[in-house]
Amino acid sequence: MAKTDTIVIGSGLAGLTAAIVSAQKGQNVKLLTYGSGTLSLNSGVIDVLGYDQQHKYVASPRQGIQNLPDNHPYRKIGLQAIADSVSFFLKLTEEQGFPYGGDLDSQLPVPTAVGTLKPTCLAPESLNGSHLVDSHKIVIVTVKGLKDFYGNIIEDNLRKVAALKDKTYELIEFDSGLTGGRDITTLDVARYLDTDAGLAALVALLKPVAQNGVSFVLPQILGTKGDTCHKSLKAQLGSAQVVETTCLPPSVNGLRLQNLLKGAFKQLGGEIVEDCRVLRGIMEGAKCVGVVTQAAARKKSYYATKFILATGGFYSGGLAMREFEKPQETIFGFPVYFVPGEENWSNAELFSDKPQGFALTGIMTDENLRPVDGSGQVVADNVYIVGRNLGGYDFCFEHSGNGVALASAYKAGNM
Amino acid sequence: MSDTKIKQIAPEEAAVFTADHCLSCTSCMSSCPVMEATKEYRGPKLVGPAHSRMHFSQEDEEDSLDFCSNCKSCDRACPSGVAVSTLNMLQRGEYYKTHAHSQRDEMLAHGEKMGKLVHSLPLGATCANIGMRIGKALGIFGLFGLAVERDMPSYAASTFKSLYKNISQKKSDKKVVFFPGCFINDNEPSVGEAMVKVMQVNGYEVLLDDKFCCCGSPMVVTGYIDEAKEHADRNVERILYWKNQGVPVVAACTSCSLMLKKEYEELFNEAKMKQAAANVYDLFEFLDILADKGELNTNFQSVSAKLTYHVPCHLKAQGFGVPAASILRDVPGVTVELADAGCCGMSGNYGFKGDKYDISMKIGEKLFSRIKEQAADSVICDCGTCRLQIRHGTQAKACHPVEILAKAY
Repeated sequence: MAKTDTIVIGSGLAGLTAAIVSAQKGQNVKLLTYGSGTLSLNSGVIDVLGYDQQHKYVASPRQGIQNLPDNHPYRKIGLQAIADSVSFFLKLTEEQGFPYGGDLDSQLPVPTAVGTLKPTCLAPESLNGSHLVDSHKIVIVTVKGLKDFYGNIIEDNLRKVAALKDKTYELIEFDSGLTGGRDITTLDVARYLDTDAGLAALVALLKPVAQNGVSFVLPQILGTKGDTCHKSLKAQLGSAQVVETTCLPPSVNGLRLQNLLKGAFKQLGGEIVEDCRVLRGIMEGAKCVGVVTQAAARKKSYYATKFILATGGFYSGGLAMREFEKPQETIFGFPVYFVPGEENWSNAELFSDKPQGFALTGIMTDENLRPVDGSGQVVADNVYIVGRNLGGYDFCFEHSGNGVALASAYKAGNM
Repeated sequence: MSDTKIKQIAPEEAAVFTADHCLSCTSCMSSCPVMEATKEYRGPKLVGPAHSRMHFSQEDEEDSLDFCSNCKSCDRACPSGVAVSTLNMLQRGEYYKTHAHSQRDEMLAHGEKMGKLVHSLPLGATCANIGMRIGKALGIFGLFGLAVERDMPSYAASTFKSLYKNISQKKSDKKVVFFPGCFINDNEPSVGEAMVKVMQVNGYEVLLDDKFCCCGSPMVVTGYIDEAKEHADRNVERILYWKNQGVPVVAACTSCSLMLKKEYEELFNEAKMKQAAANVYDLFEFLDILADKGELNTNFQSVSAKLTYHVPCHLKAQGFGVPAASILRDVPGVTVELADAGCCGMSGNYGFKGDKYDISMKIGEKLFSRIKEQAADSVICDCGTCRLQIRHGTQAKACHPVEILAKAY
C-alpha cells in the first residue's frame, strides 16, 4: 500500500500553507480536500492580531500577542514560530511574484467595502490603505452594475477617520461593459481587467483624474493574476496611488493567494486530491496510520507518517455541534473545548464590541499543536491541529484568523 | 413492474434534498467555467440550490438553466455537499416534461441509436463519415443547431463489440465486465482493445454484456430524464446481476463511470442504484486498487513518451485522485505533467451545440494554451469528448491513458 510522508486535510490558508512547508522540507505530501477551500471567501490579507481581549486596537501585533491568555493558540505556537511564519510568508509571496508587505511590529490599514479601515499585518500593495493618509484627494471608483460597493457610503465612513476627514473626495463610475446579463461580481470585473482591453478602458477613465496626491479607491477588481494588473495600472497613472478594498465574496484577493499557494505546492511536487471527504482516522493507539475517505461509490484509505488537520470550524464542517454542549471534531473525534453555559454561548449584539462565546470552541493542543484532552494529555502523537480547528480564540473579534492559520500551519509543517 | 414499493435512499443522504445545505457562500461561482465564459448564466448557486427550492414548490422556470454544462466543477467546489449540477439536471428534466425538445437535442441525446444504425449497415461507417463531411460542407449541421465549426466524431470501421469477438483471451477465474460506453464502442474502439490487453496482462479476463445500454449521460444533459431513468434501470439490473456473480463492472470513459457510480443515485434516488454503484469502477481506479494491493503487473517495458495529462472533470468528481498519473510515471521513459487548466469546455455534448460553441471554446482556452506550452508527444485524457475538444482546439494528439499503459506491456 502506498504511503505518504504527510497528509494534510483541508485546503484553506492553513492547509495549503502546512502542505507547502512540509513539501519544502523534501517530504512527499498529499493534500485531501472536500470543497475548494475557504480562500475564495477570505480577504487573503493576513490579520495577525488587530484587537486585544478588551477590543482595544493593537498597534504592534508582536506586543499584543504577549498579552494574550494562556489558552490562546498563539501562546502554544510561540512568538518565535509566529515571527518565522511571517518571514516565511513574505519570502514565499516574493518568490512567487506576488509580494506581500508588512511586519509584525505594525499594522497596515486595509480599506473595506463600506469605507472603514481594518488593521492587518500582511497585505499585497494593492490593499495597502496607508497611501490614503498621504494623499490630498481620494477618488472612489464604483463599477456600473456591481452591487455592495456604494461610493457615498464609503466616502461617509472614510470621512469619519480623523486622518481622512479633510481630504477632497470625488466619485466616478467605471462602466466595464459587462452589464446586461446577470448581476456582475468583482471576480467578473477582475477577469475583464486581466485583458488588455479591460485595463485600457480603466486607464482611460482614471488617467484624466490621476494627478499627484490622488488616491483611487476601487473594489477588488484589479485582475486575478497576483499584482500584474495593479502594477500595470500604476505604471500608467504616474504618481497617483491605487488602493483596493476588501469586498464580499467571491474574494478576488483570496483567489489570487489561493492560486499562488496551489502553484507553489504543485511546483514542490505536492498532490491535491479533490472531492475527497475524510470520514475517520485509522488509529493504532495514540498513533494515526491512515485516513478513510469517501470517494464516489466506495471508500478509499490513504496512509502516512504524519497528519495535519486543517478542516476549519463550524462553517467549514471541521467542527460540529449537533447537540448543545456536545461539540465534535468531525473526523477523529478529538476532544473539543467550549465555553459551557447557554448564557455564555452567544452575544445577541452581533456587531457589538463584545466577543462571542461560541467562537472559542475548538481543539486545544500542546505546544507542538497536538490535540489534548481536558487534562492536557496528548490524544494523538502524530496529528497536528492548525487553523480554525483550534480553540481558544475569537478570530472575528480580535482579527487574527489568517494569522493563526499561517503561524499554526508553519509550525505544524515544521514539526 | 412489481407492486413492491421501490426502496428510496434515506432523505438525509438524498442528493435532491442537498439544496438545503447551501450556505450561499459562492465557492461554486468562483469555480464555474461557464460563468467565467458568459454573463448570461446566473451561475450554479442561484440556478442550482436556490432556484431548485423554488422550482419544486411552484411552477417557475429559470431561463439560464440551459447554460449549465453539467461539468460538476460546482459540486467539487462546494464545501457543504450540495449536488449542485444534479439539481440543475433535475430541473432541466422537469422543464422538458412540458416543453418540446429540439431536433438537435434529439440527435445529441441518442448517439447510441445512431451508432447502432450506422454499424448495422454494410459500409455504414464509411458512408456515414462521408455523409457527415458532406453534411458539414453543405451547412446542414448548422440548420440543426449543431456547431458548424466542429467535425462530428467519425465512426470506427468496426465497433469494439465486433472487434472484441476476435480477441483471443487467456481464460481466468478473475473476471471483469467491461462497460465500453457509446464513444469507445462506436468511435474509438482502440481504447477498448488497450483495456483488454492491460487487464489480460494483469490476469483478468474481460467479459462484455450485450444487455448494457448507453449510460444515459447524453440524455440527462439534454433533459430526457425519463429515458435516462429507463437506461439506469436496465444497466443497474445488469450491474447487480454481475455483482451477484462477484464480477466487477469496469468503465474506461469517466462520464460513463460517473453516471453509473454516482449520478444514477443522485438523480433517481433509489437504493438499488447505490448498491449497483459499489460494483462499478473506473478503469484506472480499478488498476490503482490492484497497485495498492501489490497486484498490479509492473513489469513494464520502456515507452518513450512525454505526456500532458488533462484530468477530466468527471474523473475529479469521483474523488479517487489521479491514479493514471502515478501508474504511468512508473513506466520507464514516460513523463507525465498535469495540464491543471480546468474544464476543457466540451462537457459531453455541450460543445456540439451551435449556441454553446463559443462558450465551449472560451472555456477551453486555458487548456489549449497549456497544451501548446507543454508541447508533449501526446495528451492523455480518460474522457472521449474531452479528447475531441483537445484535438479540435490544439491539433495535438490525444489518447486514453490506457493506450499508453498497453504499450508498456
